Amino acid sequence: MKPAAFEYFAPRTVEQAVDLLAQHGDQAKVLAGGQSLVPLMNMRLARPAVIVDINRVDGLEYIVAAPAVLRIGALTRQRAAERSRLVAERCPLLRDALRLVGHVQIRNRGTVAGSIAHADPAAELTAVLTALDGEVVARGPGGTRVIAASDLFVTYLTTSLDPREIITEVRFPALPPGTGWSWMEIARRHGDFALAGVGVVLALGGGVITEARIALTGVGPTPVRATSAERLLTGRAPSEGLWADAAEAVRAAVDPDGDIHASAEYRRHVAGVLVQRALCEALTRVREAA
Amino acid sequence: MKLDGTNTLAAPIETVWTTLNDPEALRRCTPGLQELKEVGPDTYQATLTIGIAAVKGTYSGTLRITDKQPPRHYRIALEGSGGAGFMKGEGSVDLEPQGNGTLLRWSGDVQVGGLIAGVGQRMLGGVGKMLIGQFFKCLEQRLGSGT
Amino acid sequence: MGTRYVGARIARNEDPALLRGRGLFVDDVRLPGMVHAAVLRSPHARARIHGVDTRRARAVPGVLAVYTHADLGRLGAPLPKLIPHPSLIHHKTQCPLASDAVRYVGEPVALVVAESRYLAEDACDLIEVAYEPLPAVASVEEAVRPGSPLVHEDIGTNVCARYTQQTGDVDDAFARAPHRFRERFVVDRGAACPMETRGVVAPWDARTGLLEVWDSTQAPIPIRNGLAAMFGLLQHNVRVVAPDVGGGFGAKIMMFYPEEVLVPWAAMRLGRPVKWIEDRRESMVAMNQEREQIHDAEIAADGDGRILGVRTVFLYDSGAYIPYGLIVPIVASTTLPGPYRVPSYRCEFAAVFTNKTTVSPYRGAGRPHGVFVMERLLDRVARELGLDRAEVRRRNLIQPDQFPYDVGLIYQDNAPLRYDSGNYPLCLERALDLIDYAAWPARKQAARSEGRYVGCGVACYVEGTGIGPYEGCRITVEPSGKVVVATGVGTQGQGHMTSLAQIAADALGVTPRDVSVHTGDTALFNWGTGTFASRAATVAGNAVALAAQAVRERARRVAATLLEAPVEEIELAGGKASVRGVPARAVSLGELAVAANPLRFAMPADWDGPGLEAVRYFTPPQGAFSNGVHACIVEVDPETGMLSFHRYVVVHDCGRVINPTILEGQIHGGVAQGLGGAFWEKLAYDEQAQPLSTTFMDYLLPTAAEVPALEVAHVETPSPLNPLGIKGAGEAGVIPVAAAVAQAIEDALEPFGAHIAEAPLSPSRLRQLIAEGRRTP
Repeated sequence: MKPAAFEYFAPRTVEQAVDLLAQHGDQAKVLAGGQSLVPLMNMRLARPAVIVDINRVDGLEYIVAAPAVLRIGALTRQRAAERSRLVAERCPLLRDALRLVGHVQIRNRGTVAGSIAHADPAAELTAVLTALDGEVVARGPGGTRVIAASDLFVTYLTTSLDPREIITEVRFPALPPGTGWSWMEIARRHGDFALAGVGVVLALGGGVITEARIALTGVGPTPVRATSAERLLTGRAPSEGLWADAAEAVRAAVDPDGDIHASAEYRRHVAGVLVQRALCEALTRVREAA
Repeated sequence: MKLDGTNTLAAPIETVWTTLNDPEALRRCTPGLQELKEVGPDTYQATLTIGIAAVKGTYSGTLRITDKQPPRHYRIALEGSGGAGFMKGEGSVDLEPQGNGTLLRWSGDVQVGGLIAGVGQRMLGGVGKMLIGQFFKCLEQRLGSGT
Repeated sequence: MGTRYVGARIARNEDPALLRGRGLFVDDVRLPGMVHAAVLRSPHARARIHGVDTRRARAVPGVLAVYTHADLGRLGAPLPKLIPHPSLIHHKTQCPLASDAVRYVGEPVALVVAESRYLAEDACDLIEVAYEPLPAVASVEEAVRPGSPLVHEDIGTNVCARYTQQTGDVDDAFARAPHRFRERFVVDRGAACPMETRGVVAPWDARTGLLEVWDSTQAPIPIRNGLAAMFGLLQHNVRVVAPDVGGGFGAKIMMFYPEEVLVPWAAMRLGRPVKWIEDRRESMVAMNQEREQIHDAEIAADGDGRILGVRTVFLYDSGAYIPYGLIVPIVASTTLPGPYRVPSYRCEFAAVFTNKTTVSPYRGAGRPHGVFVMERLLDRVARELGLDRAEVRRRNLIQPDQFPYDVGLIYQDNAPLRYDSGNYPLCLERALDLIDYAAWPARKQAARSEGRYVGCGVACYVEGTGIGPYEGCRITVEPSGKVVVATGVGTQGQGHMTSLAQIAADALGVTPRDVSVHTGDTALFNWGTGTFASRAATVAGNAVALAAQAVRERARRVAATLLEAPVEEIELAGGKASVRGVPARAVSLGELAVAANPLRFAMPADWDGPGLEAVRYFTPPQGAFSNGVHACIVEVDPETGMLSFHRYVVVHDCGRVINPTILEGQIHGGVAQGLGGAFWEKLAYDEQAQPLSTTFMDYLLPTAAEVPALEVAHVETPSPLNPLGIKGAGEAGVIPVAAAVAQAIEDALEPFGAHIAEAPLSPSRLRQLIAEGRRTP
């Protein structure tokens, strides 16, 4: 388990990194936390000719609260975000999901942006970004652009980022006060990729649901936004029966794969169970906040 | 790994049949195809670089088309190996007219072995299906979608 | 012999070094001029090899050699056959490198030696093997069907052995029994996964003719003997060292894995030390595996739930070769009756080749299978007859006055299966008390009324341990007064440096810190078989006791002369010999060691040699039988199939306990592996025998976060078979876990009618079994 030979660059600035990517295109891979890339390389499943290690790039490690949004720099470690008070206050859904990303040792190295760029179909952070309608800021030879979560995830391990672009920042919209949230997932063991996971955001007004956001992971090639369930919930008064209907809507909307750990049918079923439970927890939080 | 699917194509069955047997169409629509060389009747030598994102392997092998029943049916057999392991697949393509278009049903049994099977099982089925889907999607685009 | 340290909960001698990162594992061995090997392995489960082209690989700068079967000459022959058995008709072993066929994914095809492991792996990528893939057989059931692909075409069958053992008139018992219940039980494949994978480093010195082999093995002495024979060297000129070994669990005792031959051979050819460290992905296909068995089992009982007979017919998956013979299925067969009176019993197995990694014993070595079958059958009896599960067990237990108890079978050591001692009812009652079984029905009901599904499982087992043939030990007191113990049994984390030191310390009146235990180095002790079958403490421990006793007597004789007192009045304590009642008349053990090694003058005619030193061997007449009971409380979330363990209780009797901390460590590790086998660890293969779980992402070892807190209690029924009264404990923890957990889950899911007949389970599978139960609570 030793990687094939590769050329290694450690740029000091985003511009240098982008130049290197522009030069090497899809022959190059960006190394941030390395928690997915390095194992893939050691197993020789990935054989990038060039590694652009951005760990020495200055100014990419930050968590900043802007109005209504939390900006997280590309080199911010998952563990730092997990322990950040800003994240806890403004985006508790992200904090709760982070706690289930791998293990502490992984989160100490792994970055928030790296997990999103890797786009594992069972990752937590991709679904959080999707649930919150977050964005990433990408820098490439043509300059900077902002990509919405809904436009970012293409398929397994694939984003709409150009090979010559890097993510410089991830933006998570903050939850307005009084909003309920819940992250729930089923994994075979603590720290494993989720067999299914769900992030829920819930807001109430006048006794009815004014906003419901549901995003799932592990049930398809990309994170899935359960729009039909969201529509079904909006404008209705919360009830166990409504949660059950939402669960059924989610089951109808997802098309998971089966593997050695769980059948497709199981994943579909527990996706619904998790939605039901997450809605329940989110509602409790709404009520606690009130 | 058993996979199957259907596609509706906006072209008459004969056109679809011709396209399916056109090396140029195969060349354009097979994901990751690097090289396709006709080495005999309905037999091709192929080199493919397939996978997803950074996880790609190059496989070289043969592709054979058998059991031809124009314009409705053929079987396809694919065998390749490379650094990431090997793959072996067998499948069938069946066409039937549907209105002005053609309904295409495909099914296959793909066996993947070696490294990629041992460490990639979590995504292998889905990715396999996706790649085959890409092939037929490309045909759809060439012929115009029937839906 | 006074006992101050045997039985004491003392910290381990080995830990200060290990905890500071100062252990010496094979990968820590770095030698001048050392080069690195990598193995090219088959990606096919079954294929013919029409040729291997190594030209491009050899051309890589930094590559010293690329070897294939054609280079091996005489050494290319199939590796040695261990433990033959009259019923094992086709004792197939693999060649160090495949010649014209490969039979499992991971079978070695070529060995590359290069200046670095990176280059060696680069070169592996460039070797072109002309494989002709052939249909493979993945399942034992398919392998025994007519027309199945043959793993070894030359023998015309995939069945390499059939073996039946019987006691009592089984068919008559079944014919007369008022109740008979039949079940099919499936136990799937698992892997030992020691934290340290295999590894070999071999330097060869052509001038001295000395071959040194650092090998992460459980059996250095047999490896040394085998290598000497294969290479035509004196055993004296081959030194095999198993330094610190990071776990073995049975999988590191093979004699031989291909690399254990190839690496020293390459070192001799190249004149450079060669290192090969198995990476984890290799380990998941190239280290022996275990567990897969399918039992068709049946129990006959009377109306009170008393066992009248048991019979099982089972398929044992040996994988592609069967180097280790029939040990695992024989152990499964003979463990099955367990602590129960089974008046008639027949077990009949077929050992079957499949195109999968070879099977050899892994912690438990068939015992978990036997226990799973028996305990599940007893649960069935209880359910069908409306009896309490614990009560059914209670009614069938062998009673304390029935020992020695002859089971009526032949055990793995080829001796009759006779339990030496035990108190099975006491262990069961202790476990039931600890888990508060009496209050269980009420607690279960309470949980149900809250909409929760909680179940309790109770499973019993007997473990054969401490088998022969022998182990030995040399004890030397140095002039410093420090005691050196050298033995042939290696240690893979079991704490020998401490438990053996405790035994010697008691005999010699020193502290365990004064005793330096050396294991696993053939240069330090010449004789022994290895660490397996829960035998090291029992067999080597008693050898240490005998040798320490002999050194003690010699020390007393020397002291008697020096102190001018009768030998009967000499006592050893506190590192000194003194005259009883006159502590001032004393001489230190070190001084005695000096005195026992005179530099001048003739010695008396009855002189028995220099130094305070003795070598002794212990050979047990037969195995000693440990036993125990596990009880657990498990909650199942029926919507997700996820488990949470509320409690896990172990009551364990392995005779006299040497060190409770070490013993509990053994139990904890065993239970963790048992839980893996019950719910997490499954080696998945596809229908063409491709392994699908070759990383720790997909092969799910339970972590500290999954394993619940364990409550362990000891019962001590000494073994009458050895002076120390000890029995083995190495495998105990793992044995009844799958049975206890299955029972608890079935109990929890009783309202759904889910029936458990397999291990390991999974959340997905539990959901399926709930659906198949066709009952709604």
